[in-house]
Amino acid sequence: MLGFVIQRFLQALVVMAVMSVIVFCGVYAIGNPIDIVIPPDATQDIREEAIRRLGLDLPLWEQYFIFVGNLLQGDLGRSFVFNIPVLELIAGRLPATLELVLISTVTATILGVGLGIYAGYRPDSWVSKTIMAVSVLGFSVPSFWVGLILILTFAVNLSWMPAGGRGETVEILGVPWSFLTLDGLWHIVLPALNLALFKLAMMIRLARAGTREIMLTDTIKFARAAGLSEATILRRHLLKMISIPIITVFGLELGSTLAFAVVTETIFSWPGVGKLIIDSIAVLDRPVMVAYLLLVALLFVTINFVVDLTFALIDPRVRKGAGV
Amino acid sequence: MIKSKKILASLAVALGMTAGAASAETLTMGVRGGPESMDPHFSALGPHAEAAKHIFDTLVWSGTDLQIEPGLATSWTPVDDDTWEFKLREGVKFHDGSNFTAEDVKFSIERIPVVSGPTTTTIYVRRVAGVEIVDDYTLHIHTDGKAATLPNDFIRLFIVSSEAAADYSTPETAAEGFNSGAATIGTGPYKYVSWEPKGDLVLSRNDDYWRGKGAWETVIRKEIPNDSSRLAALKAGQVDVINYVSSVDYLALERDASIDALRGDSVYIMNLQLDQRAKTPLVRAKDGSELAENPFRDLRVRKAIDHAIDRETMVDIVLEGLGKPANQMMPPGFFGSNGDIPTPEYNPAKAKELLADAGYPDGFEVDLYCTADRLPGDGAICQGLGQMFTQVGIKTNVNAISKTVYFPAQARLEYSMFMNGWGTLTGEASYTLGGLAHSNNPDVKLGAFNRIEYKNDDVDTLLQAGAKMLDADERRATYEQAMAKVMADKAYISIVQLQTVWGAKAGTLSFAPRFDEDTLAFFIKPAS
Amino acid sequence: MSAHRTPFGWFWTEFYENKVAVVALAVVALMILLAVFAPVVSPQDPYDLANLSLLDARRAPGFVGSGGYTHLLGTDPQGRDLLSAILYGLRISIQIGLAAGFVALSIGASLGILAAYLGGRLEVLIMRIVDLQLSFPAILLALVLVALLGQGKGQLIGALVAAQYAYFARTAYGAAKAERGKDYIEAALATPLSGRVVIWRHLLPNCMPPLIVVATVQIANSISLEATLSFLGLGLPVTEPSLGMLISNGFPYMMSGRYWISVYPGVALIILIVAINIVGDQVRDQFNPRLRR
Repeated sequence: MLGFVIQRFLQALVVMAVMSVIVFCGVYAIGNPIDIVIPPDATQDIREEAIRRLGLDLPLWEQYFIFVGNLLQGDLGRSFVFNIPVLELIAGRLPATLELVLISTVTATILGVGLGIYAGYRPDSWVSKTIMAVSVLGFSVPSFWVGLILILTFAVNLSWMPAGGRGETVEILGVPWSFLTLDGLWHIVLPALNLALFKLAMMIRLARAGTREIMLTDTIKFARAAGLSEATILRRHLLKMISIPIITVFGLELGSTLAFAVVTETIFSWPGVGKLIIDSIAVLDRPVMVAYLLLVALLFVTINFVVDLTFALIDPRVRKGAGV
Repeated sequence: MIKSKKILASLAVALGMTAGAASAETLTMGVRGGPESMDPHFSALGPHAEAAKHIFDTLVWSGTDLQIEPGLATSWTPVDDDTWEFKLREGVKFHDGSNFTAEDVKFSIERIPVVSGPTTTTIYVRRVAGVEIVDDYTLHIHTDGKAATLPNDFIRLFIVSSEAAADYSTPETAAEGFNSGAATIGTGPYKYVSWEPKGDLVLSRNDDYWRGKGAWETVIRKEIPNDSSRLAALKAGQVDVINYVSSVDYLALERDASIDALRGDSVYIMNLQLDQRAKTPLVRAKDGSELAENPFRDLRVRKAIDHAIDRETMVDIVLEGLGKPANQMMPPGFFGSNGDIPTPEYNPAKAKELLADAGYPDGFEVDLYCTADRLPGDGAICQGLGQMFTQVGIKTNVNAISKTVYFPAQARLEYSMFMNGWGTLTGEASYTLGGLAHSNNPDVKLGAFNRIEYKNDDVDTLLQAGAKMLDADERRATYEQAMAKVMADKAYISIVQLQTVWGAKAGTLSFAPRFDEDTLAFFIKPAS
Repeated sequence: MSAHRTPFGWFWTEFYENKVAVVALAVVALMILLAVFAPVVSPQDPYDLANLSLLDARRAPGFVGSGGYTHLLGTDPQGRDLLSAILYGLRISIQIGLAAGFVALSIGASLGILAAYLGGRLEVLIMRIVDLQLSFPAILLALVLVALLGQGKGQLIGALVAAQYAYFARTAYGAAKAERGKDYIEAALATPLSGRVVIWRHLLPNCMPPLIVVATVQIANSISLEATLSFLGLGLPVTEPSLGMLISNGFPYMMSGRYWISVYPGVALIILIVAINIVGDQVRDQFNPRLRR
């Protein structure tokens, strides 16, 4: 087992190293941030001065080694635009994204599992059919479009909800959170709903499929034969049995929700990391782009690593490195 | 024209309802852009300077119509060809209670080249060769040669405290020192409380401000870059005032009784630019074959293009009323604007005739490039131009693209016909004509933005002379003359002057729109 | 040939039982036809600037413009007939979806089959990369690639392919691996048949059904992803407006009540994507032996 852990860990390290080269070279191959950072009406002297200041006159490999050197000391560089450490910039925006992502994934999971179990338990009722139709829509309609319609309906036509922004925040341990104020909560409803819809559809499908399969198994038949009430069966057996795949997917999806937040944050002007990365792409703020991508890569490599280990614990066959 | 702005401004002073969520002591402003750092010397971008103006003062103040007025300096006079004498205001105190003296000015000027970011603030001190302290309240600024516009350069030269910022004046320490507030000590109307990049800037009133006490105890400057979100925040009462209401929302807003829309002229004018090189890359005959010569070198073709533009429609339909037809590269009333330049005439028939005269009875084909994301309406104006040119026979392929692609390519002279906005931020012509209309000549530091190789010897002579004239009237006449010549050549064709709109809860605030589009809390008063 | 007719006929009979899927298929076919014949059916060539008039700009649905005909879906800020713009936009969206889908299919399927056929270290390497990429959200990958490659049709398709080939590779690998293990392949390899023949005759045909299923879903995904990227301002240049771009252009007008500029292109996009997905669902159910009654 230890050998397996070490092997996978080394693999993860290699992946991260390769990612750092790809991301760095990729980002540095594009455009010239100079043309974007300085005003269009700057003179040649100002231009050269700016290039020197940003260290863009050095050869690529030298820039990369400086970058890696700093990285190993926990320094991801400074934003070209804001001249403050990138980590600080990202850390400042992270709470907004985290609360949005967590609220929407948790809501989607609870709601989705509930609806999914119902749809699987009573597959032929019209309620279940409606639930499934909604899930097809949630699956296929692009989330930016849903966002637009939400804004058009609830913010523009009905004027019930704010169209964007984060609302009032409260500081806890020096970090501002908006879900603790009424105003903040009011602001988070639409973006969270927007972000949750896809996950909701996925959870419904997952829970429904799981329920349908499990309800036909012997365990449930025996439980019924033993005279347990349907409610008890659902609670004790069904929930327990479908929870494993759902928790796995929940973990995996947390990462991809983080990515999808880019779209939601842009539509609702939510001041999170996703908005930051879109803005940074627009002005080619390379250090921010590189840092964001590396952090995301790290997140996914970690998730993969953890998932691999978990599966190895559950299923000994995997440990032998039977393959892929 | 300036009068009409005043009238609009007084409209805002309507009898009002009471302010909603915000208390009268707090002003919350929703703005499109914000500072990049709390160090005022880090960036030369407009929103950066706008935020800095709340905390810091400048020697020379630029008024609502960009006229220069005394700021921390009470007077300035040239003492010889390369020296200006500045008299400083006495009795001004920094936020930490220390006195403002000549030492702080010298420190600030010398600090700029060290801590400036990529959008460099060195442009404000480019002509400064040395700073000499005569006494606590007198300075001699030595320049490299005659610098007639030095006071104009100083309108964004912010004065920081030489004591507070002493330890925070290297590229490594400046951002930390200023963002933490340790060095953010100015003489301005508001004191620094906190700032989040791309987030809120919180300020508290400086009760000892030399211009008098501001109206608001606390000012919160919220960055909301999205136009629709900013407007929504105003409607929801989350902010008291917003800048840059988009033309798209303006008409609806005018009908909305709960919001005051305050319209002001902008310094930005959209200019079409026609490449004057012998060979130009993106023009061809309609069948794709090469033309014998660059048609834009023929004055008749340039006149035809001018006649093809329906400026009224541009304003009324494309900008939904938020603009004015323009006939020159600066707004009327600016130093060097020429009131005698004729109003361009929309006449497609004449345009076709002129094209035929010039040897293009069937027209030709051209790729038109412009920015789509820099100024309000830029992409739409560009597409409108495409229609108008195509309809007189010049088949136009419109490329409205991101400014991040446009400007680098424009600087590499890759375009033949292109349009972008130019703002006369200093309020005088040496900035605009000196940059655009002089042939590109680094030796005399003129023509750096002339991307069409436009060259008129008379214009060059006038502009070089103007830069050295210390007498204001003489200089004004010289620039007016140069402006007339440039516009008559029609290599630069001005289309529309933009307008900016501020929104506020009806009847709650009064303020005058500024030409430079700044939203300054100190000059915003509660209406009553 | 006649041998093939029977399974196809049988497939169609079963498909025909699901009325919703049949309607969806008809909708997809109709939209493809409309896209192909957009120049014929559109009331206006929306990109010939000579027929546009700014005086027709931003008119509500039903307005009779200077061209003398009714703008059924209204006009955009340039005075362009929105219905025509949507038909042309549909054309671009479908083009990109199909192109990205097919390129990703070819690359992904080749990699997957190759990995299954060759085995060994190469298999591990290819599939490891594919799996890693699968765990990485496609939208993020496409976003970054478009930012890196710049605007343009080719670049956009490239980014979409890079974001999606892994799904095909995984699918092809799964099917090919299962087939590769069967005795008849071993037997075939033992005969002088070349590897190429084994791949073309045996592995590829067996991978086709699942690949077709993935392809339908992925084409819908490509279209949706392209729209998302264009909406974020990272897709096509303004001069080649896909449906996503039309939606994006109309977005600012939403707040001031001129909803049609953004909403109608959106409706067209949704109908297209949902219809493809319904067809895809049905095809998948039919290929999935576990759901066979």
